[in-house]
Amino acid sequence: MNSILILAGKLLSIISRFLNVGSGSTWPGHIALNLNKNFIKDLLKKSKIKIILIAGTNGKTTTGKLIKEILEKNGKKVFINQTGANLLNGIASSMLLRSSILCKINYDFAIFEIDENTLPLILKEISNPDFILILNLFRDQLDRYGEVNTIATKWKEVLSKLSPKTKLILNADDPQVAYLGLSRGVVSDTHRVWNRSYTSVFYFGLENKKRTNKNLQHASDSTYCPNCGSKLSYSMIFYSHLGVWGCPNCKNARPKLDEGDAPIYPLLGIYNRYNTIAAVLLSRQLNIEEKNIIAGLKSFKPAFGRQERINTSGKKVQIFLSKNPTSFNESLRTVSNLGAKNLLIVLNDRIPDGRDVSWIWDVDFEVYIKSFKNITVSGDRAYDMGLRIKYTQTIIHDSLFIIQEDLKKAIELTLEKTPKSEILYILPTYSAMLEVRKILTGKKIL
Amino acid sequence: MKKYSLTIGWLYPELMSTYGDRGNIIVFKKRCEWRGIKTETIRLDAGFSVDDLKNCDLLFMGGAQDRQQQIVAKDLVKKRKALKQMIDNGTPGLYICGAYQFLGKYYREADGTVINGLGILDLYTENPGKGSSRLIGNVAAQVLNNGLIMGFENHGGRTYLGKNVKPLGKVIKGFGNNGKDQTEGAIYKNSFGSYFHGPMLPKNPEFADFLIKLALEKKYSSPINLSPLPDSLEIKARESIANRLGIDL
Repeated sequence: MNSILILAGKLLSIISRFLNVGSGSTWPGHIALNLNKNFIKDLLKKSKIKIILIAGTNGKTTTGKLIKEILEKNGKKVFINQTGANLLNGIASSMLLRSSILCKINYDFAIFEIDENTLPLILKEISNPDFILILNLFRDQLDRYGEVNTIATKWKEVLSKLSPKTKLILNADDPQVAYLGLSRGVVSDTHRVWNRSYTSVFYFGLENKKRTNKNLQHASDSTYCPNCGSKLSYSMIFYSHLGVWGCPNCKNARPKLDEGDAPIYPLLGIYNRYNTIAAVLLSRQLNIEEKNIIAGLKSFKPAFGRQERINTSGKKVQIFLSKNPTSFNESLRTVSNLGAKNLLIVLNDRIPDGRDVSWIWDVDFEVYIKSFKNITVSGDRAYDMGLRIKYTQTIIHDSLFIIQEDLKKAIELTLEKTPKSEILYILPTYSAMLEVRKILTGKKIL
Repeated sequence: MKKYSLTIGWLYPELMSTYGDRGNIIVFKKRCEWRGIKTETIRLDAGFSVDDLKNCDLLFMGGAQDRQQQIVAKDLVKKRKALKQMIDNGTPGLYICGAYQFLGKYYREADGTVINGLGILDLYTENPGKGSSRLIGNVAAQVLNNGLIMGFENHGGRTYLGKNVKPLGKVIKGFGNNGKDQTEGAIYKNSFGSYFHGPMLPKNPEFADFLIKLALEKKYSSPINLSPLPDSLEIKARESIANRLGIDL
């Protein structure tokens, strides 16, 4: 049965790609799961593959790619579920397409990016992954994912059922993520061991003491104790609600770090420091040699749209995917620190972006906007973004920025005003990023 | 021209500000400052003093996640008397989503649990239960004498109005208070409740100015005419949404 499903699925994928009716990344899995609901379990039973699940609001794709690069430098065969295919169907598809007809996946590692709401479903199929890495939890598409606390509660419940085989890797600096580990066990000499299931928990965070803010950013989410609801106190804040936190009431606090730094950082921005440190911590848990970790980090190329550089007609463009208040703030901060002068913001409100664009008012444009001299806004909700920027001004003047709904024209216009010696920074939402890439490279990726 | 000033009270900015609610404060502030009206924004976070509240000329409170609302509910109950006095005396205010529901008599959750509201506005809210979906999407409503207001809504609770409040508008597109009776929001004296969540005012500058004018007239006890502002961008933003919703402005 499964052999037929695999064969048919592979065929379907080839046909759909050939006919250009989508990338064929979710249909084979959808059909296979419909015909055999144990499809994923069956495949895993026959394979020796190690599974790494990555969850969190921001940084999944980059972290997955960092780990893949490091593992491959260590001679391992690795695959990641295709971006955009992070629901159950997509994960089944990515496994199906890599299986032999004998229902074996001949890879050493599978890395799955998991959608916030999908984690509980995935753990039903893959009950004992080797690693679960949780990066962070920010407000994002509240209309689709629901509220931050609801997600944290669901996660806590499913993580409590893990077998001892699974190692949990958590962000110590994000109170709600750290609490997923802290709430599990009695603190003992080996504070990382959960007393009931003996699942080991490892924490990463930032050791760097220089990069700290005094005040919380407006878009912070988890500033109340996940245990008792009291207001948390921070001795350091790295960005959003990530920092060295503690509860004055119940004494829950940021756990001790197992990893607080990486040998090198291939990408800019504090948020990417976290992604890198997480990848390094996981690699060390797999006993990968230091030199291979460094080699992997060195040869890393950004995933599409994540600080990806593109050259077009002699001009330099760099794309910073900016999909929610936190990622937008960090993109703005990172490009401002680079001395950016040219900026194109593209705001869409399609399903992958979230239909509600209210969140743009939680982005701290006021702090950063003055340093740019060439600003264009575009996308489905160009006028909403235009209004957001208008309301950063002390005196209204129309010349601050240009609104061009047509994305192609917006890119041309902004590029024209970008000197060859400078870079045009494009900050798009998810679907906008795909469009921008298509216009700049002429290729469709999804 | 006489120098005017306004004190804006932002109720629970830390807890009740999840959906870009800050946009409304920014709009109040900027539309005053662009006209030379000085503003001061007082952040009234949990544990705030009632004296600070009483100093405010214009109030705003936004929506939040469930957990945050529970923390607010505990604090707000202690301030009920002062807030009710101000609302009854006609202090202008805008109350969005969770804040709007709080002002009513009660909120019945999906599992039947009844949470008491402040009972300042004659309305109540019920969540019809697990099987029913949230009311989500772009929304437009006709406001009495004031044209069309436009925004985005996302709420599980259905609000029903009593006799002592009037609806803020009639729903043209979307769901409004409950998805049934075509009402959206509520008006009681100079207080306005609405499900147009998050940044309601940027795309509804007339409504923003109406609230600013109310606050100034109340404070200075005399009629005030606000100087016009160049709103061409606001108008285009409204047109762009109206086109998508297939309605005429």
